[in-house]
Amino acid sequence: MDTILYGDDSKALVRFDPRTKLFIFLSCGLTSMYTYSGIYILLFTGAICAVLALSGKPWTALKAFLLFSVALYVKEAVDRGGSPAPAVVLIVSVVTTLILYALPTILSILLIVQTTRISQFLSALSAMHLPVRVVIPIAVLFRFIPTVQDEWNGIRKAMAFRGISLSFGSVLRHPWRSIEYVLVPLLFSTVGVMEELAAAALARGMDIDVKRSSYEEMKLRAADYIAMAVFAVLAAVIILRVSTKGAAGL
Amino acid sequence: MIEFKNVSFHYGGEQGTGEGVDNISLQIPSGQVLVLCGPSGCGKTTLTRLINGLAPHFYPGEMEGEVWVDDVCVSTAPLSETSRLVGSVFQNPKSQFFNVDTTGELVFGCENFGMEREEIRRRLDRTVEDMKLSALLGRNIFELSGGEKQQIACGSVYTARPEVFVLDEPSSNLDKKAITRLHETLRRIKEAGKTIVVSEHRLYYLMDLADRFVYLDDGIVTKSFTAQELGKLSDEELSALGLRCTDLHRLMKSPLIGEIPHGGKPVLETVDLGCNRGNHQILDVDRLSFPAHSIIAMIGDNGCGKSTLTESLCGVIPCSGSVAFDGTYLTEKERARRSFLVMQDVNRQLFSDSVMEEVMLGASASPEEAKQVLEGLGLGDVTDRHPASLSGGQKQRVAIASAICAGKEIIFYDEPTSGLDRGGMERFASLLRQMQDKVTSVIITHDPELILQCCTHILHVENGRILGFYPLNEEGAARMRWYFLSESEESTSRKREKLGMFGKILQYAGQWKKYTYLAVAFMIIGALCSAVPYFGVYTLIDRILAEGTISLRAALPAIASVLVFSVLYAVTYTVGLQFSHRAAYHTLENLRISLQEKLEKQPLGNVQDLGTGAVKKLFTDDIESIELMLAHVIPEGIANLTVPSAVLLLLVAVDWQMALLTVILLCFGFSASGQMVAVGMDRMGSYFAAAKRLNNTIIEYVAGMEVVRVFGREGESGRHFEESADGYRDFALAWYKVCWPWMALYGSLFSNVVLYSLPFGALMVVSGHMPLGRYVLALCLSFAIGPMFMRTLALIGAIPQVNFKIQALEKALDRAPLKCGTAEFEGADHSVRFKEVRFAYKSDEVLRGVSFVAEEGKMTALVGESGSGKSTIARLLSHYYDVSAGEICIGGQNLRAMTPDALNREVAYVSQELFLFNKSILENIRVGNPQASDEEVREAARKAQCEEFILGLPQGYDTPAGLAGSKLSGGQRQRIAFARVLLKDAPIIVLDEATAFIDPENEQKMNEAIAGIIRNKTVLVIAHKLSSIASADKIIVLRKGKVAAEGSHEELLETSPDYRRLWAASMESSGWLLKGGESA
Repeated sequence: MDTILYGDDSKALVRFDPRTKLFIFLSCGLTSMYTYSGIYILLFTGAICAVLALSGKPWTALKAFLLFSVALYVKEAVDRGGSPAPAVVLIVSVVTTLILYALPTILSILLIVQTTRISQFLSALSAMHLPVRVVIPIAVLFRFIPTVQDEWNGIRKAMAFRGISLSFGSVLRHPWRSIEYVLVPLLFSTVGVMEELAAAALARGMDIDVKRSSYEEMKLRAADYIAMAVFAVLAAVIILRVSTKGAAGL
Repeated sequence: MIEFKNVSFHYGGEQGTGEGVDNISLQIPSGQVLVLCGPSGCGKTTLTRLINGLAPHFYPGEMEGEVWVDDVCVSTAPLSETSRLVGSVFQNPKSQFFNVDTTGELVFGCENFGMEREEIRRRLDRTVEDMKLSALLGRNIFELSGGEKQQIACGSVYTARPEVFVLDEPSSNLDKKAITRLHETLRRIKEAGKTIVVSEHRLYYLMDLADRFVYLDDGIVTKSFTAQELGKLSDEELSALGLRCTDLHRLMKSPLIGEIPHGGKPVLETVDLGCNRGNHQILDVDRLSFPAHSIIAMIGDNGCGKSTLTESLCGVIPCSGSVAFDGTYLTEKERARRSFLVMQDVNRQLFSDSVMEEVMLGASASPEEAKQVLEGLGLGDVTDRHPASLSGGQKQRVAIASAICAGKEIIFYDEPTSGLDRGGMERFASLLRQMQDKVTSVIITHDPELILQCCTHILHVENGRILGFYPLNEEGAARMRWYFLSESEESTSRKREKLGMFGKILQYAGQWKKYTYLAVAFMIIGALCSAVPYFGVYTLIDRILAEGTISLRAALPAIASVLVFSVLYAVTYTVGLQFSHRAAYHTLENLRISLQEKLEKQPLGNVQDLGTGAVKKLFTDDIESIELMLAHVIPEGIANLTVPSAVLLLLVAVDWQMALLTVILLCFGFSASGQMVAVGMDRMGSYFAAAKRLNNTIIEYVAGMEVVRVFGREGESGRHFEESADGYRDFALAWYKVCWPWMALYGSLFSNVVLYSLPFGALMVVSGHMPLGRYVLALCLSFAIGPMFMRTLALIGAIPQVNFKIQALEKALDRAPLKCGTAEFEGADHSVRFKEVRFAYKSDEVLRGVSFVAEEGKMTALVGESGSGKSTIARLLSHYYDVSAGEICIGGQNLRAMTPDALNREVAYVSQELFLFNKSILENIRVGNPQASDEEVREAARKAQCEEFILGLPQGYDTPAGLAGSKLSGGQRQRIAFARVLLKDAPIIVLDEATAFIDPENEQKMNEAIAGIIRNKTVLVIAHKLSSIASADKIIVLRKGKVAAEGSHEELLETSPDYRRLWAASMESSGWLLKGGESA
C-alpha cells in the first residue's frame, strides 16, 4: 500500500523549508480567484511546478504543468472560437475553469504533504513560535489520515470474508446498513489506535516544556527566500493587474 | 532505583483489560533487569503503566501509594518529566508511532527533549548499528510488517537512552531473529547500567538476562524468582503458574496432537501463485497443497510474505495463478467466501451490535446451531453483548464462531497467540484440535509452543517462496525446533526498490542510456516530419478551393515540401531506430552479464530448482523481450504520443469542436486499451507460468528421450508433455479471450477517428459555422495522427508482457546467494570439521545435525545407505550449497568466511559424473589448473594412469572431447577426473564414489591413481564398496542424516550393527562380482 501522505524528499534537489511551502500555499489561496489573468497565472503555476520538481517530484510537476497549460490553451481557443452549441461551450469552460482554479492549490497541498515529513513540519512550526496547542493537532491530523487508510484496507478485506459488498448497488439498497458496516469497525479500531498513540506520544515527551530540537536542520536558506520573493511578486502582480484591469473594465 | 510504596491502582471507567493492582511494594535497584510475569490480566501492564506514569495521568483511576523513579515521584510528577527518565515500548506495534517515516520516529524522543542535532545524529547512528536497522531507515512505517514496526519502537527508545526502560510484551510480534536482536539490545542496555522492566509472556529469551522474575496473580505480587529458580521449575509447575516455557530446548511435541493426516483429497491446492506489489513480484509459489483436516503452522521471518501468501490464497488481494479448494479452481471472490482470516486486529472484523447478530451475519447456520457453536467456544453467556465490550480473546472467538457458522472450509489465523499467556495459548490449541474434523486451520505464528501443542504440518516461507512443507512428526518437530533455536540475528528486512518498469530497464542501460534519449529525439523529429506533408496537401487544397485552380509553379513549393519531409521522415526514423537498437542490444548484453554473475553466486540447488528450461528462457526469451521495450516501445511510443498530442493542440486552434470530438473518441480508445492491460495483467502470471512449465517439460522430454525409449515409458512421459501443452493452450486462450474484445474496440476507435469527425465537420460546414478550408485542414490533421496512434497501440499491448517478464526476471534471481566471505584461507591446518550441520533440500531434511572431524593427512570414509546424506556432505564441503545450520570449518576457519576462489584452492571434489567440455583432452585436464604447462598436464595424466589410453585416441592429447567422449569407458573418464585433481593439487580431496566404475582390468590402475592423489592429503571418501575403504583411518557411518557411529574398520565391526550390516551387504555383492570375474 502506498500512503500518499508519506513525505519523501530523498530525491529532492533543493530541500525547501516547510515554511516556504506554507507560504506558497497561502499565495495560492490569494491568487486562485484570479484565474483569468492568462500568462501570469501560467507563470505562477509554472513556479509551483518548478518548486515541486526541485523537491523531488519532477514527473508530477511536469504532468500538472502540461495539464494546466492545455486547459488554459483550450479555454482560450474556446473563448475565441465560439460555437453553435452553447451547452458544449459551457461544459468545456466549466471543466477548464475548474482545473485552472483548483490545480495550483492542489499542487501546493501536494507539495506540503508529499515532500515534508512530520518531523520537519513539527520543527518548522515550532520555529514559527506557534504554540504546542496548535502544532500538535496539525501533526496528529497528518498521522490520522494514513491510520484511517490502513484500517480501511484491513476492514475491506474483512468485509470480503463476511460477504459484505460495498458495490454501488448494495450501498444504494441498504444505505444505513452499509454505513454501519463501515463505521462500526472503523471507529472502534481507529479510536483504539489513536488512544494508544496518544499514550505513546505522551510517554515519549511530546508535551514536554522545552523547545523541540530537530534531527534535520530546518533553516530558511537562500533558495527559500528566492522562492518566497518570486511567489510574493507573482501574486502581487496578478492581484494588482487583475484588479486594475477589472476596475478599468467596469 | 524504582520503588513502589504500597501502591494500589484501579482503573476508573472502562480503561484497560485488567482489574488493577493491590498493595504492591517493590524495589528495583538501578541496573537490574526485572521481568513481570503471570497470567493475562494479572496486572503486569498496569505495573508498567505505573512506572511510566501513564497510570494515573493518562489512564485515570483510584490510586493509593506512590511510585518513585530515582528522586521523582512519577505518580504526581507530570508525564513530561517522567518521560525523560522512563522510556517505554508498548505492546501494539501499530499504535506507537507518531511519525509516518521511520527515521523521524527513531529520533522523535530526542527531538522532544530538545537535544542537540549533532548528539541526535550520533545516537541515531549508534542505534542503527547496534540494532541493525539500516534496511529500515527512511521507510514509510505503514509498509512495514508488525515485527519490523516493533523493532523501530525499540530502536526509538534506545536512541533516547533514558535511565529506565519499560517494555510491555515487546516480543509478541517478533520473529526469532528479531527476538535474538531484541535480546542483544537488552543486553547492551543492561551493560550500560540501565534499569529494565519487562512485562512478558515469553520467558525463554530473558533467562540469561533477567535478575529477577516477579510473579503477579490477580493484581498481587505472589512470588519472586531468580532466573535459576525459575529455570529449575518443571513444566508442570510452570503450567500451574500459567507461565510459558523457560527453555525452548525442553519443548516437546504434545501427545494431544492426533494422527497426522496425509493422502486423500487436498483441501487446498495452488499452482504458480504469484503476487505483485508495485513493480515487484513478492510471492512465487510453484505448487502447494494442504491435506484435509490438518492444522498447518506457517512460519518464517518477519516480512517474508506470510501474510501476502495467506491473503492471496483467500483471494482478498489480487494475485496470479490458480487456487483450488477441494479440487475445484475458484475465483478470488469465491475463495473469500469459502475461507476466513482471523486478523491480528480483530476489531476490524466485528461489524454488528451484538455477538449473536455478528455470528448470524452472512451465516448459513440456523440460530440454534449458532448458539451451539457459541457455547462450544465458551461464549454462551455473552450472546447479547456488544462485541466491542468483550476482551481480546473473546473477540477472537467471536470471529472464529462467525467463520464456523458461515460454513468456511479453511480458517487462517494471523498470529493468534501473540500476547497470550500459557492458559490462553493452550485453550486456543485445544480449540483448534476440536475443530480439526470440521475445518482446516492455517496459523501464521512465531510461537513454537503453540505449534507443538496442536499443529500437524509446518509450512516454512522465506522471501516469498516455500522453503519447506513437512509433517510435524518427530523429525519435523526437531527441524522446527532448530529453526526457532538457531542463533542468527541478521535482519532479513530489505529495502524495497521503488523503480518503475522504465526505471529498471534504464538502470541496466547504463552509459547506453544516452542513445535511447537520442533515439527518442530523432523519432520525435521523424514523427513531426511525417505530419508536415499533410500540411502541404492542405495548402494545395486550400488554394484550389479559394481560386478554383492552381498553377504548377504555385503548387511546386507545397509538393516539394511533401517530398522533402517524406524523405526526412524516413531518414530520421531510421537513424532513430539505429540508435535505439544500439542502446537496446548493449543493454541486453549488460543484463545478461549481470544475470550470469547473479546465477554464479547462487547455491547449486537454486539453479537446479529453476530448471534448465526456465534458465534458458530467462537468458534468451525474457531478456529478448526487453529489446522490444528499449528499441521500440520507449522511443517510438514517446514520439508517437508527443507529436499527435501537439497536432491535436493545433487542431484545437483550427476548430476546437472537431478537436473535442476527436479527443473524446481517443479517450474511449485509450480507456479500452487500459482495460485490456489491466485484465491482461491479471491473467499474465498464469499464462507465463504455463509457458515456463511447457519449456521445462520440453527440455526434460528431450533429455529423457533415451530412458523413455529404453523403458518404453512413452505413455507417461508423453502424457506429461501433453498436459503441459494443453495447460499452455488453455491459459493462452484464456488470456486472449479476455483481451480480445478490448483489442477489437480500441482498434476500431483509433483507426476510424476520421469516420466520426468527417460527417460532423461536414455538418458544421453546411450550417456555415466553419469555413471549408478549415474543415480540410482539420481532416488533414486527423489523417496525420491516425497512423501514429495505431503504431503506439501496437506497442501498448506489449507493455504488460514486458513488465511481467522483467518482474519474473528479478524474482528468479532474488534468492539468497551463497554466503561467501572476503577472507583468504587462514586455517591453521587442513583438517575438516563439521559442527552440528543441518541441511534441508526444500521439504526434505537431508542432514540432521552431523558432527565429525576429518584430520589432516588422514583418510576419512563416509559410509551409509543411499540417501543417508553422504554426497550432500561432499557438496557442502565444496560450498555448492549453504548449510541450513551449524558450520563447516577448515583448519578452524568457517568456509563461509572464505572467498569462493580461496576455498576452491583448498578443496578438490571428484564427483561421480565427469563433465567434459567441448575442448581437447589436454585442455580438459588443464581445467584443474589453468596455469599449468603442457608438460605438467601430461605429467598429471601419466600419474593418473591416463596416458596410455589417451595416446590410443586418434589425435592423442589433442583429440576433441566430443569425439573421444563416446570412446571412453567409465573408468577412463574417472581417471581423467583424477588427472584434473592431480593437476590442481589441493590439500583436501573429496572422492565421491570414485571407485564406482572399477572393473578388474582397471582396478590396479585406478588404485595407483588414487594412491597418487591422496598422498599426504586430507581425504574424504564416499564409497559403496566397503572393501576399498576398510583401511581408512576413520570411518563414519551415516544413517538418516545423522552420524550413527565412527571409528576404524575393526572397531566398527565390533560396535556398530549398522556398519556390520553394510559390510556384510558389500561383501556379498563383491563376492558375487569376483565369482563373475573368475568364470569369465
